[in-house]
Amino acid sequence: MADVQMSSAPSARSQRPSGLRSMLYKSETARGYLLLSPALLVMVVGMLIPFTILIAMSFWTRDGFDFDTTMSMANYQTAMDVPIYNAFLARSFWISGITTVATVLLCYPMAYYVAFHVHRNKMLWIILMTLPFWTSYLLRVFSWKVILGYEGVINSGLLGLGLIDAPLEFLLYSQTAVIITLAHAWAAFAILPMYVSLEKIDRSLLEAAADLGDGPARRFFRITLPLSIPGVISATFLIFIPTTGDYITPALVGGPNSPMIGNLIQLQFGAVNNWPMGAALSVILTLWIAAVGLVFLFVTRKSQESVV
Amino acid sequence: MSELSYIKRPNRGLKIYAAAFLTVLYVPILFIPLFSFNDSLYVKFPLSGFTFQWYIELWERSAVWDSLGNSMRVGVAVSIISTILGTLAARAITRSRLPGQNAIVAFVMLPLVIPGIIFGVSLLILLSRLGVSLSLYTVTLGHLVVCLPFAVATLLPRFEGFDKSMEEASADLGENGWFTFWRVTFPLVLPGVIASLLLTFTISFDEFIMAFFLTGTDATLPMFIWTQLRFPQNFPSVLALASIILLVSFLLVFVALWVGRLGLIEPEESQS
Amino acid sequence: MDVVDNLNAVRNGELSRRAFTRSLLAAGVGLMTAPLLPRRAMASNPDEATIFTWGGYDIADFYPSYIEKNGVPPNFSIFGGTEEALTKMRGGFVVDAAHPCNAGLKRWKQSGLFQPIDTSRLSNWGDVMPELVNMAENVDDQGTWMAPFDWGGTSITYRTDLFELEGEESWDMLWDQRYGGRLGSLGSGGDAWWCGAIKAGVPFKDIATDDAFERISAVMREQRPLIRLYSDDTTTLEQALASGEMVAAMTWNSSAVALQYDEVPVKFAKPKEGQLTWVCGIMLHKDAPNVDKAYEMIDAMLSPAAGQFMIGEYGYGHSNARAFDEFDDETLVGLGLSKNPADILGAGHFMIPQDQNWESRMNETFEMIKAGF
Repeated sequence: MADVQMSSAPSARSQRPSGLRSMLYKSETARGYLLLSPALLVMVVGMLIPFTILIAMSFWTRDGFDFDTTMSMANYQTAMDVPIYNAFLARSFWISGITTVATVLLCYPMAYYVAFHVHRNKMLWIILMTLPFWTSYLLRVFSWKVILGYEGVINSGLLGLGLIDAPLEFLLYSQTAVIITLAHAWAAFAILPMYVSLEKIDRSLLEAAADLGDGPARRFFRITLPLSIPGVISATFLIFIPTTGDYITPALVGGPNSPMIGNLIQLQFGAVNNWPMGAALSVILTLWIAAVGLVFLFVTRKSQESVV
Repeated sequence: MSELSYIKRPNRGLKIYAAAFLTVLYVPILFIPLFSFNDSLYVKFPLSGFTFQWYIELWERSAVWDSLGNSMRVGVAVSIISTILGTLAARAITRSRLPGQNAIVAFVMLPLVIPGIIFGVSLLILLSRLGVSLSLYTVTLGHLVVCLPFAVATLLPRFEGFDKSMEEASADLGENGWFTFWRVTFPLVLPGVIASLLLTFTISFDEFIMAFFLTGTDATLPMFIWTQLRFPQNFPSVLALASIILLVSFLLVFVALWVGRLGLIEPEESQS
Repeated sequence: MDVVDNLNAVRNGELSRRAFTRSLLAAGVGLMTAPLLPRRAMASNPDEATIFTWGGYDIADFYPSYIEKNGVPPNFSIFGGTEEALTKMRGGFVVDAAHPCNAGLKRWKQSGLFQPIDTSRLSNWGDVMPELVNMAENVDDQGTWMAPFDWGGTSITYRTDLFELEGEESWDMLWDQRYGGRLGSLGSGGDAWWCGAIKAGVPFKDIATDDAFERISAVMREQRPLIRLYSDDTTTLEQALASGEMVAAMTWNSSAVALQYDEVPVKFAKPKEGQLTWVCGIMLHKDAPNVDKAYEMIDAMLSPAAGQFMIGEYGYGHSNARAFDEFDDETLVGLGLSKNPADILGAGHFMIPQDQNWESRMNETFEMIKAGF
């Protein structure tokens, strides 16, 4: 995400060499850091230190209830060698990838609608889309079970209509259920960033394009879509990253065929009680997500450049 | 303004889509109030009878209300603090040319990658080494770490690329930084700020893994619900609570709308 | 820093009246929201004992004599499962007492976080059933580690209308091919693995041998394709049984009671191989800040009054033999308990707590099987 935003942020203006500017430049940097400092402080306390502990721990090994603190790559070796870890990792990316694509695609028109076609009470719409998430996630999961279950709403409906002869078992306790539940749960996280970035688009650009004779489709693909890409990227990351590490949803609606890497990590910190292994798996997950993220950024930037 | 209308022309297809979208969004939610009146311990069809029993039970369960209060406190504090920090950070990132900017953004986004349980455990280890006893403050700290990336990610696109000249014009007119920020920048980024407040509140209000590891004796609501799963007897009154939350939040929104405050915080209206 | 800016501006006479009002407004908002910050953070009284337990035990009825004496119930810190609780305590969370179960007893002991209980300080100790006190690993040369509190059976709850029984009730029901995809199991190895051992015919004393691992793994692998859901909580399993999603599932006895109460046609099986017996109890933290109060609390929990509430409301057994006096035979049998609890305890299999290495290996193996490896 960083790269794309950075590429557009430093405007020509701040780069202009002038005596006064260069004097201001120093203080501007200082001011920038000053503005950042509270956020950075929180991040250092709440993030850097725990993450350092995590990395250190990933090189230790378990010894009964204690840790053997001699550095070793044993955990990483195990993670490479034992097929279950790679299989779970692949499954996590698969499930979370589908969820992300589906959510972003389904939510984009909604964000677009609110940004361009709602003229009064925009905030009401935004809040309306966030409200469902103020009920507890666990309760929503129970609702989904009622809908997707063996004798649930969908199955009863389809049976009643005579469309199926036997209840569809793949609806609940399956990867389908995980994807549906996740997509529903993260909808607001997709809409809000995309809305924010669509809302910002200068309407006069669209006007100008229309004056030049561009049709609606052309206007959308030449102006609206490229300009809303930062929001789409934000949304993609906000959904993709956390869902990859999720373990509650697979545990609640996934059944035996959908545990993800997060479930394994949680087990290492819980029942299996091998914290160093759990730490190593987290580090591996982080690296993979970073790698996937970079590739994604690279591809979107290339395509963006080719459009513009 | 009216010349714009052909761009903003109502789009029937999109309208239908929006309606369908909201329906799908709300259907699972509406089962919650439905089952909160159902005379059964279990969430299942067919409905067995109408009852107010769970609401009466809920009234007597002070632990549920306490946990709701705790969640509200943490949620409000987290959303305000993380949005303020996020606003400052987003401004710094987009306005100043900072060495190591990309690294900083990546660093701020890092918490997204790490499963909550790991954060919870490592923060807990850190806090207990420091001798900090667990309370709602520690939960707030934990949630702050999780919410900050969401705040920054929502605010960055808004800050980035709006017309800088307005700020500069204000500065040229001799206004101080605070004034410029409050009068010029803030209204421009307000939609982002509101989106960030909503998002971060929602996250904090629904998070229970970190909350579990970082809380002492004050449970937050989602964590409270999670720990109730051993006893189904307690489940229906939780449904009743969620229904009340839904109802109250709807009422609040509509009252706010009615009073007209929501109209005021819509810069788009006045701009376009 | 905005505040500093403002102050400077005021000092230099630069701040416009309007900007100043706005700042005041902002300050007002700040003050309004400050109380929203954890104001009740210390509502839990630091002088009272704190117990770390499941949600559901955080109600006054379990602590009658404690409340009588101190006027307030103890502080509650709640968890959803014992494993996450141990993780949190190992992370440095200190309470006076915690509420684990016998499957984890050895490991909780070995974690070094607990101290033996001085049973002479508990007035109700004399009525606590010796079968429960003397379960494996509980009493050693250092003393008694866990004060047994609640207990019950793990067996199969099945829908009498949907599950057609062939012959006697048995653990084979959860391996019944006819109902593949409609069976459920508790997800934690602490329950499921031991039931697997019963099914495989492995005596519990041999459960740590390689041969046992192989035999239990084999039956768990055989069962895995039939299972619709491995669940970590009973509410989920009960929901699934109530809705007909599942026809039979491994549960605790209280599930059948709750389902029957809701008029779902279910029965808690008495498998011919015997059911699994679980016992949970209270352990005292080694750094308990309020030890004296903690003893008062444990004593209250062991009282017959607390026991009656437990049996009547939750359908679990209680460790105090006198707690059963209030109930007639019929009620107790309906709950899957008995007037003479020793009968039930004698007929069931008691888990033998294992050490961490066994537990890690078992969980790893079980997770691999659940994941289809």
